[in-house]
Amino acid sequence: MAERTGDLVIEGLVKLFEGGVRAVDDVSITIRQGEFVTLLGPSGCGKTTTLNCVAGLERPDAGRIAVGGDVLTDVSRRVILPPERRDLGMVFQSYALWPHMTVHDNLAYGLRLRKVTRAEMESRIKATLDLVELGGLEKRYPYQLSGGQQQRVALARAVVAQPRVLLLDEPLSNLDAKVRERARFWLRDLQRRLGITAVYVTHDQAEALAISDRVAVMSAGRVLQYAPPNDIYERPSSRFVAEFIGRSSFLRGEVVRVGAGRAEVRLAGSGTVVTAAGTAAGTAPGDRVVLAVRSERIDMRGENAAENIVRARIKSYVYAGAEYEYILDTPEGELRASSQRAVPGPDVKLHLPPDGIVVLRDDAPVS
Amino acid sequence: MPLAPIIYQSFLSDRLYERDKTFTLANYALVLQSGELRDTIATTVAFAVATTILSVALGTLFAVLLTRTDVPGRRFLHDIVILPFYVSPLVVAFAWAIVYGPAGFATIGVGTILGLPTWQLYTVGGMAVVAAVYFVPYSYLYATGSLALTDPQLEDASRIAGGGPFRTLWSITLPLLRPAIVSGTLLTLVSTIELLSIPLVLGQPVGVQVLATFLYGTATRSTPNDYGIVAATSVAMLLVITLLVWLQTRITGPERRYVTVGGKAIRGRVVALGTMGWPVSAALWLYVAVGVALPLLGIFAQASTTFLTPLVNPFEVLTLDNFKQIFEQPAYVNSIRNSLIIATVGGLLATFFIAFAVLVTNRSDFPLRGALAYIALYPRAIPGIIVGIGFLWTMLLIPGLGEIRNTLIALTVAFTVRFLPIGFGAVMPSVLRISGELDRASRVAGASWLTTMRAILVPLLRPALAAAFVLLFVSFLKEYASALFLVAGGSEVIGTTMIEFWRQGNSGPVAALAATQLVLTLVAIVVGQRLLGARLRG
Repeated sequence: MAERTGDLVIEGLVKLFEGGVRAVDDVSITIRQGEFVTLLGPSGCGKTTTLNCVAGLERPDAGRIAVGGDVLTDVSRRVILPPERRDLGMVFQSYALWPHMTVHDNLAYGLRLRKVTRAEMESRIKATLDLVELGGLEKRYPYQLSGGQQQRVALARAVVAQPRVLLLDEPLSNLDAKVRERARFWLRDLQRRLGITAVYVTHDQAEALAISDRVAVMSAGRVLQYAPPNDIYERPSSRFVAEFIGRSSFLRGEVVRVGAGRAEVRLAGSGTVVTAAGTAAGTAPGDRVVLAVRSERIDMRGENAAENIVRARIKSYVYAGAEYEYILDTPEGELRASSQRAVPGPDVKLHLPPDGIVVLRDDAPVS
Repeated sequence: MPLAPIIYQSFLSDRLYERDKTFTLANYALVLQSGELRDTIATTVAFAVATTILSVALGTLFAVLLTRTDVPGRRFLHDIVILPFYVSPLVVAFAWAIVYGPAGFATIGVGTILGLPTWQLYTVGGMAVVAAVYFVPYSYLYATGSLALTDPQLEDASRIAGGGPFRTLWSITLPLLRPAIVSGTLLTLVSTIELLSIPLVLGQPVGVQVLATFLYGTATRSTPNDYGIVAATSVAMLLVITLLVWLQTRITGPERRYVTVGGKAIRGRVVALGTMGWPVSAALWLYVAVGVALPLLGIFAQASTTFLTPLVNPFEVLTLDNFKQIFEQPAYVNSIRNSLIIATVGGLLATFFIAFAVLVTNRSDFPLRGALAYIALYPRAIPGIIVGIGFLWTMLLIPGLGEIRNTLIALTVAFTVRFLPIGFGAVMPSVLRISGELDRASRVAGASWLTTMRAILVPLLRPALAAAFVLLFVSFLKEYASALFLVAGGSEVIGTTMIEFWRQGNSGPVAALAATQLVLTLVAIVVGQRLLGARLRG
């Protein structure tokens, strides 16, 4: 994709930690102007380090970072702008509101440094506080605010100077579950209205799917998949992504026939042949593969289906409110499935719909 | 660093500023062969070990009793137990001599009037007792600090598992204190080895000599030979002390890191002593009265009487002559004024310097920040007297510096170097407690490193910096050891003048000066706590 003005481009980013650990290992992603992109992964996957490299808070060992035409970091040319010269906004996990300054002064800080006139400064502070629905709290100190209010002040402070890119480091992780869910909508709405490019870091997959235009799933310093939430969920590119996002079961098998975007796979346990619709390019007969199936896509009352049936026995289940969650014993190993209504057991026939099966290369042992 | 000339001198055959000097190892050979030195080292070791054992045992015991039991009056006891921390050891030595010396008030009172057997203060044992009282706050503060951070649930778990309160104190609380005890021990050991005042006042008159008094005596004699011996002995002493300090940092390192994570002080549950409470309390009060309060009162009594003895009613010999003698002689008034100037101006400058140094070591990516932190913390290993000699020789050696010799500038620099670790220690925990995200937020908002430090960190550190200033003020006010070789007519400080008076046998004016110093110190602490909002801790 061509680089456009305002796009945030990260190329070949590498950050080594002490002892040679590659905290960030050759990360390259482009974030389009106005786009909301989430770096998602378990702790230690390098997502925060990547964000800090963009912010200039950490010095990468290789790579290039640019916004539009402006190079922020280019290790090969020894360009690493200090954070204060990057014109970015950032919301920190702890909010990092300066405790000795009022809300007003927290917002004014960056504007003063940018030599904004007094009248302009006051009007911007007022407009920004109104935007985050905190008008009238200018004189308060951070400790006089609730957690949700502090989080909004942190966001207001990050955007008040109208930066080119907004960086968010798990900004919602300190909020209560209920407040957090509302904050997602609110944050996304605000970002759209400002039209600002946003890079968001989280380990919460539900949050990432809900809030982003695109999600970069990271593991061990690498980006495994970079795609819209829908694709990430429906068509995970690797077993790690399928396992990390949502709840999936995995069945081993061998490809027997490929054609018209469909593959027929012989399951390792029972020898049953099932058809899968989601097939990666390059899959050929004889390949050993893993089939990933979302637990909500498994039909537990599949006795009338014509194909793709697996016999199972209910091992245990829990009632989770909206659904029942089952753990099933099958010849293919343990599977997990959910159903909105209770299923009589113990023996059941499972139907795996072809478009609910993703064929993945067998890159990890079945756990 | 003022140590270079000392190391240099230790390999020279003549004074370091003479022309016909050659490199030699003779000084070390001399030191190794000297029988006098061997005896001195033996005395030093005995003195240091006795002091350390006594003060660590008392300090730890007091810490447990005063933080984990309901001893009556523990607030007040706490304040008095740590009082010696703020008092010059010189004053402590004088105070004990006045009250418990061979002709002391209490000695005569017990011996002559009551006819009971008395004690010998002017011995290694006597010195150790006095030094132990002076150093009790060290291990006491280490232990209370550690107790405050110990998770009380560890003790609760022991209670639930069936351990009684004393069993819990013994099996859980005390073992958890081990790191604090070890670092208290090493710190006390190092500090005793470098301690000059108590051996000077209590040991010198009867010929009991430790390394510090040996160095002082030899350095003031200053024949060419002595220069080499002083230097070689200093180097040897530095090696030993450096080793001890290194051990201490090795051992306390991980614990310190834990402190920064914990941060908040947790109040552990208090064990009810029941009927044991009163005897324990009485013992503590006895210690506080005999060890701390009585000697300090003795200073004031001595200062305001012509002759202090239990044989005469002190109120009949009340006089202001001692204070008059000090306040009417310009030279003595001058020493008080000098001390105050150094403590105030020098203390402020040192505080600024420390703020800058702490921020560079903790909050910058300056490549040499690790080395800087080490340099700032190293002086804790250098005995004050060696700092003084080092600065003197530096100024003799480097031509331009001769000008500031014998000025308050030289004293201020020497004192700053000497007390850098104390200032660092007062500021460091607060810096560590301020989340790095606050600086990062400022940098991303467009501020440079310097602006961030000025606008965010320094305002947040204000209470810690105020505390550092008060501590430095008090330390500068009471410092004497490093000043001994740096003062001359016009630049005397309270400590050096006191030693001068003591040499002449004028205990009245000494006590008056000591009383003045005590009052100034107390005022500084009270004002510091009220006005600057400084929270003082060891």
